[in-house]
Amino acid sequence: MAGRRATLCRMIVSATDITRRYGTGEAAVEALRGVTVAFPPGQFTAIMGPSGSGKSTLMHILAGLDRPTEGSVVVDGTEIVGLDDGALTQLRRDKLGFIFQSFNLLPVLTAEENILLPLSIAGRTPDRAWIDRLVDTIGLRDRLRHRPAELSGGQQQRVAVARALASRPAVVFADEPTGNLDSKTSAEVLQLLRHAVDEFGQTVVMVTHDAESAEVADRLLVLRDGLLAEDSAGTVSADAAGA
Amino acid sequence: MRKVALRGLLARKTRLALTALAVALGVMLIAGTYVFTDTINRSFDRIFAVSLSKIDVVVTPNDDLTQDGDTPIPLDASLLRRILAIPGVHSAEGSINDQSGTILGSDGKPVSSQGAPMFVASLNGPTFESLTVAKGRFPQTADEVSLDKGTADREHFKLGSLVSVQGVAARKRYRLVGLTTIAGVPSLGGAAFATMTLPEAQRVTDKAGRFDAIDVEADPGVSAAALRARVRAVTPKAAVVRTGRQQAKSQSDDIESGLSFLSTALLAFGGISLFVGAFIIFNTFSITVAQRAREFALLRTLGASRRQVLRSVLAEGLTIGVIGSAVGLGAGILVASGLRALFKSFGIDLPSSGTVVEQRTIIVSLVVGVLVTVVASLVPAIRATRVPPVAALREGVAMPETRSSRLAFPAALVLSAAGVALMVLGLFVVSGTTSALSLTGGGAAALFVGVALLSPKLVAPIASVVGAPIERLFGLTGRLARENSVRQPGRTATTAAALMVGVALVCFAAIFAAGANKTIADAVDNGLRGQIILQNQAGFGAFTPEAGNAVARVDGVTTVSRVRSATTRVTGIKGKQSVTGVDPATFESVYKLEVRQGVPDAQSAIRRLPASGVLVETGYAKDHHLKLGSPVVLATPRSGPLRLTVDGIYKDKGKLVGSLVVPNAVLADRFGVVKDQVSFVGLRGGREDKGIKHEIDALLTADYPQVKAQTAAQFKQGQRDQINQLLGLIYALLALTVIVALFGIVNTLVLSITERTRELGMLRAIGTSRRQVKRMIRLEAVITALIGGILGVVIGVVLSILVTRAINDFTLAFPVGTLVAVVIASGLAGVLAAILPARRAAKLDVLQALAYE
Repeated sequence: MAGRRATLCRMIVSATDITRRYGTGEAAVEALRGVTVAFPPGQFTAIMGPSGSGKSTLMHILAGLDRPTEGSVVVDGTEIVGLDDGALTQLRRDKLGFIFQSFNLLPVLTAEENILLPLSIAGRTPDRAWIDRLVDTIGLRDRLRHRPAELSGGQQQRVAVARALASRPAVVFADEPTGNLDSKTSAEVLQLLRHAVDEFGQTVVMVTHDAESAEVADRLLVLRDGLLAEDSAGTVSADAAGA
Repeated sequence: MRKVALRGLLARKTRLALTALAVALGVMLIAGTYVFTDTINRSFDRIFAVSLSKIDVVVTPNDDLTQDGDTPIPLDASLLRRILAIPGVHSAEGSINDQSGTILGSDGKPVSSQGAPMFVASLNGPTFESLTVAKGRFPQTADEVSLDKGTADREHFKLGSLVSVQGVAARKRYRLVGLTTIAGVPSLGGAAFATMTLPEAQRVTDKAGRFDAIDVEADPGVSAAALRARVRAVTPKAAVVRTGRQQAKSQSDDIESGLSFLSTALLAFGGISLFVGAFIIFNTFSITVAQRAREFALLRTLGASRRQVLRSVLAEGLTIGVIGSAVGLGAGILVASGLRALFKSFGIDLPSSGTVVEQRTIIVSLVVGVLVTVVASLVPAIRATRVPPVAALREGVAMPETRSSRLAFPAALVLSAAGVALMVLGLFVVSGTTSALSLTGGGAAALFVGVALLSPKLVAPIASVVGAPIERLFGLTGRLARENSVRQPGRTATTAAALMVGVALVCFAAIFAAGANKTIADAVDNGLRGQIILQNQAGFGAFTPEAGNAVARVDGVTTVSRVRSATTRVTGIKGKQSVTGVDPATFESVYKLEVRQGVPDAQSAIRRLPASGVLVETGYAKDHHLKLGSPVVLATPRSGPLRLTVDGIYKDKGKLVGSLVVPNAVLADRFGVVKDQVSFVGLRGGREDKGIKHEIDALLTADYPQVKAQTAAQFKQGQRDQINQLLGLIYALLALTVIVALFGIVNTLVLSITERTRELGMLRAIGTSRRQVKRMIRLEAVITALIGGILGVVIGVVLSILVTRAINDFTLAFPVGTLVAVVIASGLAGVLAAILPARRAAKLDVLQALAYE
């Protein structure tokens, strides 16, 4: 047990015995039925599973967007279950980055402003060198003054990746980041995430239903019926393995 | 299809409520006005019918040419003797019923300060007395008085209290011996009744041997109509003879026409609210139709015709109209009693015998409310029909650009120009009051709509101006708020335009009032040469000449120059007008009238104004083609026409004397006017003197409390107070319009937030706090409101410049402080409007918001 605790300390995100029930009584649905998983720094993890397997719910809970019915989630040393909205907001500001399937850029802001958005929200002065490096990485220097409506889908998602990285979060959660893209631009965006992990040591957790996308990850988790069914890192919890 | 419309409505209850409220408030004021005035009229009808029930015939002086606030020239006592001699007359009695006196309250101030009349009445015999004693008894000696219970209660008078009354005669104290009611009610619309014995009432009002009315009772078997004819035969032509029933009707009609100004004004404000409500309905429907474009497209792919889509949107409008009007009608009935309470708190206790809801009230309220809603939803409904069926299959459908929207800009320019043109026409060209008013009002409405249509182009520039400091102050949230406000310029423009209307009218009223204050102040500064002004406490109305006589005896007073006024008709000119009387010998020493031409010359025209002469104002002379020597024929109440010749033409910068000036002696002889409207007092050395002023004040308080003495500064302040009081009332009524506009802002924000749910979810996900979200929404509302406020101030300024141009010698003054305050207040109103939408936006569940489609 002592060894395991030591391992957890090094983890950026760790979830223990997560269950999530929606509704009550007969109509209750169990989206997660006891999932324990941890993510070490600098690792690119893909979470897969069929529809209704609970993969999105798991990510939402890890990101503090949803609350587990039972269990504990520690993000960068902080227990986040039970935090109030203000503290969760602060957590998302300081420690988390998000990439969405539908890009979710603000149409009224330019590409550059969208990238800087998390910093502006937090009232932090951007680290110019870091932002420059990000802009070069996504390769959209000449489009910084454009608004999202003037960018292609792939370009928009690259802006979204830069936005997620802008505040150097502890972990980036990507929810089906290639779901709305064709295969070529999908590959570009995935490479970008790969690059972030390799070059910047970024921790990335990505939910996807596309096996090809999952291949760029270091580690693959598969959820089935609310349980962790497979973990390429081999640390599937005893309960799930037994089930 | 109808089901679709209604389901859609029920699914969005907040919007339904807010939109219906936009109609309801206007309808409320309209219904409330009707119920209020109908109730009052009905109550007065009843009171008059009851109080005159025992009287068969009433003789009264002709009051056609009576000055407001004065009583007509009384009837001679000899008429009573002639009437008593008529066969079929059972009994007849003369009475005094004079409203030019003043009854003083326990605080020494007049018991009525808000224009409700004060009557000094004589006690009639039991047959004719319309008052009944509720407590105590009627007066029996010259030192006793009875008061209506309403006034006595308001002033905390008890039986045995001393009550002061001043008429033409000086103030006298009476012992209160009785409290009276009329037709069972304690007060007749706040009017005060001091009843005394006939000789005492005649003495107080200086009507010894004369009457204000003669009441006649017929012998059994003699009809009122027959008796009326017989009385008519012995009565001078100038007097009016009516049966009791006719008299009741005539008094009711007087009340009704007196109230008609109030009701017209209130209805106008209701109309303005509805006009603003129409903006909101239009905007709400435009937004929802755009948001539901896919739904309409889907219906079209399922086989719905354009007409069915149109009908479904209009059905929604109709439902909102019906709900809004019904709510408004109900609220109006409640508001009517609120209005009554409001008037009561001002001392005007209007009688109410049960709330009167006429059929007309219900019909007008519902029809107007529904019509406004349906008309306002027509354009959005037509737009809904233009959605092509294929849009159902596409993402992010934009409403197709219609021909009408391409034409909007030029149309808006034309409409604004037409609005200004109509106003100019109404103000400067047309002469009839009614048509001029409706042209001006219609022009203003057209200008409002025109500017509203223009304003989508103005939204972005104004937003960047007001947004810049907000952005600097609030950083990103300010930036986003500004960007969001200009995202749909049409939407923001219409929302702001609704507020613009109210703000414009507020500014117009403020500028107009400031100008009026300045004009009066200038007039006093330019025209007044005397040091003290004597006036009725009420600020208007005639007062006893004895006051002036008494002031003249004060040591240090060199001149008391009286200005009087009578009502007349001028041959060849429509309508009644007033004619001013002056004292030719002293007038110039206290007041400056610029005589341009005169007989024998301009310098001496006033001083030497003969009884056969009249001075006319330059503008009046020009309008009616009068020159020196032109004949002017005035109708008089007591004798035949009065033929005068123009002896001078003047310009009156002080705006005191009106259009026609004759000597006071002529007014006394031919119009029977012996009371003063205003007197100017000259002091020794031509300088203000505190000591003398104190002495005059003390004298007036002791003997003639009806009259107040004011220095020029006090007079100006008094005028300002009156104007500001009226301004306050106008603000209160316009507040309703502003509230409707605020609902509009709430509605637009709520709808925009729904549209931007996903964006808000993302913002929250990446670390925006609830407070930041709230601030963003709040700032967006502030920017929208400021756009409305700024446009409103600009239009208000334009309107007031236009309108005041039409008034001769009106000094325009801009109350810059007020205008700035109005802009700030509109910003604050935006904060208020944002409360609910901001809370909603902050409460959004992040996950659901992200998943929102």
